[in-house]
Amino acid sequence: MRLTRRSTIGIAVVLALALGGERPGVQAQGATPIKVGFASAMTGPSAITGEGVKWAAQMLADEYNAKGGIMGRKIEISFGDNAGTPGEAVSAVRKLADVDRVDVIIGQTHSGACLGALPVVKELQVPMVIEACSNPKIRELIGKTVNEWAFRVNPDDVMLANQFARYMSQSTKSVSIFAQNDDFGRGAAAAYDVAFKKYGIKLVSTEFFDRGQADYRPVLTRVKRANPEAVLLVMLASEGSVFMRQFREVGLTQKLYARGSMATLEFLHQVRDSPSIADGLVEATYWTPVLDPAWEKQWLDRFKVPVRVHGSLAAIAFRYAVAPAVEQAIKKTGRADRKSIRDALEELDVANTPVGRIRFDDTHQAFINMLLVEINGGQLKILERIAIQP
Amino acid sequence: MSDLLEQLVHGLTLGSLYAMVATGLALMFGVVRLVNFAHGEFYMLGGYAFWYAYAELGLPYPVAGLAAAAAMGVFGLAYERGVIRSILARTWHVQLIATLATSITLTNLAILVFGTQPKEVPTTLSSTIADVGGVRMAWQRPLVLVAAVIIFAGLEWFVTRAKLGKAMRAMSQNREACAVVGVDVQRVALATFGISAALAGGAAALVSPLFNIFPDVGALLTLKAFAAVIVGGFGYVRGAIAAAFLIGLAESLAAGYVSYAYKDAIAFVVMVAVLLVRPQGLFGRRIGI
Repeated sequence: MRLTRRSTIGIAVVLALALGGERPGVQAQGATPIKVGFASAMTGPSAITGEGVKWAAQMLADEYNAKGGIMGRKIEISFGDNAGTPGEAVSAVRKLADVDRVDVIIGQTHSGACLGALPVVKELQVPMVIEACSNPKIRELIGKTVNEWAFRVNPDDVMLANQFARYMSQSTKSVSIFAQNDDFGRGAAAAYDVAFKKYGIKLVSTEFFDRGQADYRPVLTRVKRANPEAVLLVMLASEGSVFMRQFREVGLTQKLYARGSMATLEFLHQVRDSPSIADGLVEATYWTPVLDPAWEKQWLDRFKVPVRVHGSLAAIAFRYAVAPAVEQAIKKTGRADRKSIRDALEELDVANTPVGRIRFDDTHQAFINMLLVEINGGQLKILERIAIQP
Repeated sequence: MSDLLEQLVHGLTLGSLYAMVATGLALMFGVVRLVNFAHGEFYMLGGYAFWYAYAELGLPYPVAGLAAAAAMGVFGLAYERGVIRSILARTWHVQLIATLATSITLTNLAILVFGTQPKEVPTTLSSTIADVGGVRMAWQRPLVLVAAVIIFAGLEWFVTRAKLGKAMRAMSQNREACAVVGVDVQRVALATFGISAALAGGAAALVSPLFNIFPDVGALLTLKAFAAVIVGGFGYVRGAIAAAFLIGLAESLAAGYVSYAYKDAIAFVVMVAVLLVRPQGLFGRRIGI
């Protein structure tokens, strides 16, 4: 190949840029952004959860980046759409890990998606902090000996069911369960079946429904026939509003308990024309806006709609697990790569968070507080704050 | 007894909804031989149009309902001109992909424009409870049923008496012959899409006060309506209406007496069973509205 004058100059320029870039490159290393992936349902019948997660992630990134990021490194966010299903969760994790090259994932909001994602985060060796998946099976599939890449902040339904059933047994002797027909609903129903037996509550019937259903009246007629003292709903606010209207339409007056996102501002916003429609409903949960009024205000100012529970749970996972772990990883190793973040998560111990202490045990499970929140006069009221023991 | 009556009321309400959506699907197939997989999304858009007219603009319920149906009628015309006309002469694969793509696009557009939070549109009738023989129901339910009957009677009159309706019937029997004798087949196809979409909009205005409106609401509805069209005899409108009520009742009785979780499966098993016995559909008609 003959080198012309022009091509020689071109090669020289390229070499100069490449070699000269070495030093700025070292400096840029320090300023490389921390890439955080958020996986949730952005499409499909559960898309409301993903929208909340997306909004929360944008707020967090803006807030942290305005302060200069974490240890001088900006936060760069990416999103993976799991559509609330295990199959899509696999694609979401692969996209976040292989395409967006994230350092850590927060997700997957839905239990089925979590179960689908777990083997992939292990295979791709990317740390994932679970913020809202309560299926009890997840605990068997994560931890130092099983899957060292996954961590769960929220309690599972076995932990919640034991405390909630104890509370219910004080005033209730028979219950019908009405649950989503997915890993969240079925996991919770199985956990409550066991807990009810332990506390002497008779389980009258268990019914499952597919998300996006329009008409609950047929099953409400069945509940009417079974006539339990109370009904335990395992459902999200998006279904809850239609359900509650039809519950009253049929004329049912049973005491209501819930798991999901019924005692939330999202739900109250949807039934704002009839705010006391679910008065007396008590939900077992681990987050409510009262825990962090500043976050709620920030949310309302920015999005003009009530704060979303799933976005807030992703924010908890970011603020009190991922961000401190990244900081710790940089302090300890000078890096914030997947391995160092994973190691830092194992050693994490954040005592004062709105949801309680976040520290992962050997099964990579944290034990935050459980709350019993009641809807009363169209308002949310914390009835009890219960410390969950390992 | 009141228990059975309750299930029948649910079944008839659901059947009315399925029938109004299925009618549009059957009309489209009957006249232009195309399965519109975006038809559930017409219902979804009709729901949002109704929400906007009723909850945002504060129009009275009947006006808001008619406005939603009219808006969807216009949308149906635009859909025929913008999407359908260019694919009518293409193979069924192209038509399938085009209508499915429209369905996905509309759902995601709704997420972008309206957000994911379901829209609630309670009306006075949906909030007022009647007690009929021990069966409690919102007044909106009988309204849905009565309105559905009136709509179907009007449609029946239209396709048997009105000039355009007769042209639609003729086209459902032989499109080429219609073109030869001077029927403006493009105009008839255009009108069919307008009417079908308006029916979906009307259904949304009637049913949305009872159920939520959300971007994904049309997905399952398309399947149910499609099932009704198949069971009723493809493209036969009266058959689709009857089959839609049959599916609504089967679903309600299955949910009430067998299993709520498997009610959809049971309804589809009914469909398969009917087709095994009568592959040409329940009413055994050749294609024709």
